[in-house]
Amino acid sequence: MASPSPKSPEQNEKSKQYDRQLRLWGDHGQAALENGHICLINANALGTEIIKSIVLPGVGSVTIIDENIVSDEDIGSNFFLECSSKGLNRGSEALRLLLELNPAVQGHAVQEPPDQILKENPEFFKSFSVVIASSLSERTIQDLSQHLWDINIPFILCRSVGFLSLFRIQLKEHAVIETHPENEQVDLRLDVPFQTLADYLNGFDIDAVELKDHGHIPWIIILYKAVQKWQITNPNSWPMSRKEKNEIRSIVQEFIRKDENGVPINEENFEEALRAVNTALLPTFLPVKIQELIYSSSATNLNKDSSPFWIMCSALRGFIEAEGKGKLPVRGVLPDMTASTEHYIKLQNIYRAQAVIDAEIIYRKVQQIVAQLHCESISEADVKLFCRHTHDLYLIKGTCIATEYQLGGSVASYIARYLEEPDVMMVHYILLRAAEMFRSEHNRAPGDWEPEADIAKLKTCVTKLLSDISCSPFPKDDHIHEMCRYGGAEIHSVSAFLGGCVAQEAIKIVTKQYKPVNNMFIYDGASTNTATFTF
Amino acid sequence: MVARVAGVFDEKLTEAIANSKILVVGAGGIGCEILKNLVLTGFPQIEIIDLDTIDVSNLNRQFLFHKEHVGKSKAQVAKDSALSFNPNVNIIAHHDSVISNDYGVSYFKQFNIVMNALDNRVARNHVNRMCLAANVPLIETGTAGYAGQVELIKKGLTQCYECQPKAPQKTFPGCTIRNTPSEPIHCIVWAKHLFNQLFGEEDPDQDVSPDTADPEAAGEAGASALSSEGTTSGNVERKSTRQWAADTNYDAEKLFTKLFGDDIRYLLSMENLWKKRRPPTPLTWDNLPGKDDTPAQHSGLPDQRVWSVHECAQVFAASCKALQADLAGRPEGDHLVWDKDEKSAMDFVTACANIRAYIFNIPTKSRFEIKSMAGNIIPAIATANAIVAGLAVLRAQSILRGHLAAATSVYLRPKVNHRGQLFVPEKTLTPPNPKCYVCAPKPEVGLACNLKSLTLKELTTAFKDGLNMQAPDATVEGKGLVVLSSEPGETDHNNDKTLEQIGLNDGCALLVDDFLQNYEVRVRLQQEDEEKTWRLVTDADAPMPAPKEEKPANGSNGADEPKPGPSRTRADSDSDMEIIEEDEDETTVKPPKRRRTEMSDEVVELC
Ligand SMILES: [Zn+2]
Repeated sequence: MASPSPKSPEQNEKSKQYDRQLRLWGDHGQAALENGHICLINANALGTEIIKSIVLPGVGSVTIIDENIVSDEDIGSNFFLECSSKGLNRGSEALRLLLELNPAVQGHAVQEPPDQILKENPEFFKSFSVVIASSLSERTIQDLSQHLWDINIPFILCRSVGFLSLFRIQLKEHAVIETHPENEQVDLRLDVPFQTLADYLNGFDIDAVELKDHGHIPWIIILYKAVQKWQITNPNSWPMSRKEKNEIRSIVQEFIRKDENGVPINEENFEEALRAVNTALLPTFLPVKIQELIYSSSATNLNKDSSPFWIMCSALRGFIEAEGKGKLPVRGVLPDMTASTEHYIKLQNIYRAQAVIDAEIIYRKVQQIVAQLHCESISEADVKLFCRHTHDLYLIKGTCIATEYQLGGSVASYIARYLEEPDVMMVHYILLRAAEMFRSEHNRAPGDWEPEADIAKLKTCVTKLLSDISCSPFPKDDHIHEMCRYGGAEIHSVSAFLGGCVAQEAIKIVTKQYKPVNNMFIYDGASTNTATFTF
Repeated sequence: MVARVAGVFDEKLTEAIANSKILVVGAGGIGCEILKNLVLTGFPQIEIIDLDTIDVSNLNRQFLFHKEHVGKSKAQVAKDSALSFNPNVNIIAHHDSVISNDYGVSYFKQFNIVMNALDNRVARNHVNRMCLAANVPLIETGTAGYAGQVELIKKGLTQCYECQPKAPQKTFPGCTIRNTPSEPIHCIVWAKHLFNQLFGEEDPDQDVSPDTADPEAAGEAGASALSSEGTTSGNVERKSTRQWAADTNYDAEKLFTKLFGDDIRYLLSMENLWKKRRPPTPLTWDNLPGKDDTPAQHSGLPDQRVWSVHECAQVFAASCKALQADLAGRPEGDHLVWDKDEKSAMDFVTACANIRAYIFNIPTKSRFEIKSMAGNIIPAIATANAIVAGLAVLRAQSILRGHLAAATSVYLRPKVNHRGQLFVPEKTLTPPNPKCYVCAPKPEVGLACNLKSLTLKELTTAFKDGLNMQAPDATVEGKGLVVLSSEPGETDHNNDKTLEQIGLNDGCALLVDDFLQNYEVRVRLQQEDEEKTWRLVTDADAPMPAPKEEKPANGSNGADEPKPGPSRTRADSDSDMEIIEEDEDETTVKPPKRRRTEMSDEVVELC
């Protein structure tokens, strides 16, 4: 018998190379990454470690801004510089070696100082998905963070000195649609079934099912029937308490068939139904945090510059107030379960069909809004994705880094409050800021030349910062001594560690999946402590 | 040439690093990062060992490797790449398995620290024991997606890798796999077994033909099924499946007809099985569903669409041919090893699993999903590996300075928890479990089995699979009688005797040791008539000593409840995670529930 020439769908090279990460953020996450453009300012060890972990998974392109010349010290601490790099531009050399990791990534090196770009060509920063910088002067940090805040480009500022390191993420507004919660609630609507679901569930007669099919009834149907039976004696109510849920379990037990000897037949689907009682019978509700989002002024007062997220939130509000009858759109995702293919597919189709209907309504509302505002259109795929995740939308509204340098009211008191805690990690923030101040005043790192004399100078910087936030000086100087001993040098493992952390957060931001750190992370390699703060 | 570090590190640390010798086990994602960090920190003597060669799917994170290195030894290429940065470091690379007589206790003793960057439990268990025996500190690492962990293991001071019972490996009864699959994973396991039967290492425990010994099928129906044998499929069951397939020249249609037609009809004849189950539907090669479909439009990668049965059959035929050719190109007696990243091997399993699923009325899945489930794939990314490797080398520095107490376990979380922690540290080192059957001063464990039916050969399997030994020797306690010898041939003549026949009875104790691991454990035999194979009874199953008050994370309310959803896969490269499950509920503070997610090929229990 002749069979047609066999063909297997080809897996392309790229999906092979990225297989392990596609399982984390999916094709659309990968696409977002490949459209991403990361800007790094200063290709020191920390900077190249960050870019390494962003180039490997295949970011679209990378721009390195660095006017420095490669020194011996750079070569010793930076894996992405060679002995032959000495005397050449650091950014171009690092870029060349970094791009060898992944030929798919585009790269550019810019040899001008960032201050000059800010002054002469501020538009330059508009095209980036994230700007990442380290070893900047106090002045540049303030100017750059303010500019990036104004043009709404995410910014990550990081520092790695000796055993100390930190990163600070500046996000004016960052919406995460896919947060990937660890324990996702199923959206089954058993308490408020939509018409097609109600019709199907009501038309199903468990008792009429033949024995050989009994083990293939999806647990969703079993639970629904159990609740219906329970409601005969408990009209107009829903099993909420532990006692009531136990009553449901007893009813499910009664459904289990017995063999000729009266022994219950062990059926996996009924076991699943019993296990699902706790989670699957939660009443359908509109989470408070989603209410807050859709009624926030960004969603109620749209304008031409409103982001797609707010337009979709506004459309969602319209849906909830009208067609949705107070509820979120149906998610349309069914968990795996023991069931015959027909039952499973039937149920899946019912949920999916309703999800499609709901998403279409919201998409039409989005289109109306877009037409009214004359703003850029939003794709149906984006709206569908949004609709699948409306139960766990997440929004970060951040603060500008420049305000930390002006030490206005709330920032100062925030820092002061955390300085009073035992095991304070905030001390390290002060130290790193003081070292930065030292560098601005003396044009070198504390301890770089004369560790002893620098201790007093660094102490002056610390004292000034502390007095600015109305705090008393540190009782001991050991941290200051330590900072001077570092002489501004990076410890490779600390930079490698922090580089991994910064790259991980940058990828979360670019793919718009998972919740990034909001907004500061500090690591002390000497005590191995870490902390996060929200400035 | 490592500039400046001398000034940054204190003298003691600088000297300790200069005199140190480090062993890195594994040159994967974390191993590459660790090696780079060690070299840039100025560690002068490093050995790295890895059995693997480089695959395309490694390149998204294993940065010491480039496209042109695919197929080469990971350990060797990692060494070469690292040396190109600093030629003055003394790096020795071993392209070898760490589980080998060449790496005995004396080998391990020469290192100050061993750093594990492994991807499987067997090797981790082994290195754990070697480090306990050699009394060398071991730094254990692992990542899974955005999560990760670093932990120190030091004899007498901390828990060892085996102190806490691991989440049981998911096992499926052999009769579920062979006779009555009800979930996609059952079909996938069957398909992997079929691969081994046809192309891989033949394992009698991985039989794919109908199991006539299924207790459920017992009775007249079973008997009638037995007597009907030989009509359609001949004596296939008595001939090795491999031999039969070879005799047909791996003819796709013939293989298909046997596996998805005859064998299914045979199962149908075991009527007892189908009294309360939906019976399977045998398929015919030239009349398969989906034959007349026009190729469907789909988005995303081609392997993310679910193939029709007809397409599966085509893929089945093509992959059979490719695998046959691969096998034919090898020396006589050699076999293939199933690899999820090997195209034909993965195609074969996808096709067979889906065809079988269709037959049993089980939803079919895409190649992408099946790859996750069959390969126990856990996502792996560069960032988490970099973080964990950075922490691991910093931990190594603390240990070299003698600050062992500071080297507590730390867990990287995918997001900041409600306590503001991205990293969840243990406050103190976790002391050893005094009842651990590996690191306790006098290790002891129970073995429940039916002494009347368990053979000596099966006992050997219990020691190897259950106790993770490589070459066990066993004597009867107090009598010195040698029950089992690792010397080839010495006790083989007893292989098929039951434990009762060689004079072992309930309550008697065996002293079992593994020379390579320098590990001896006292095994108490417990008679259990019901036990079909064997089961370890560990004291470690009992609750751990009172949990410390200051645990980093909340307990997980109701986490014992299996969540609905697809069977969770376990692990892949670098992934052997111990995850602290947290609950958002702040009011209850319980000790963290640990869950190691790991690489493990499913174990099939015979029934
Ligand atoms: Zn132990």
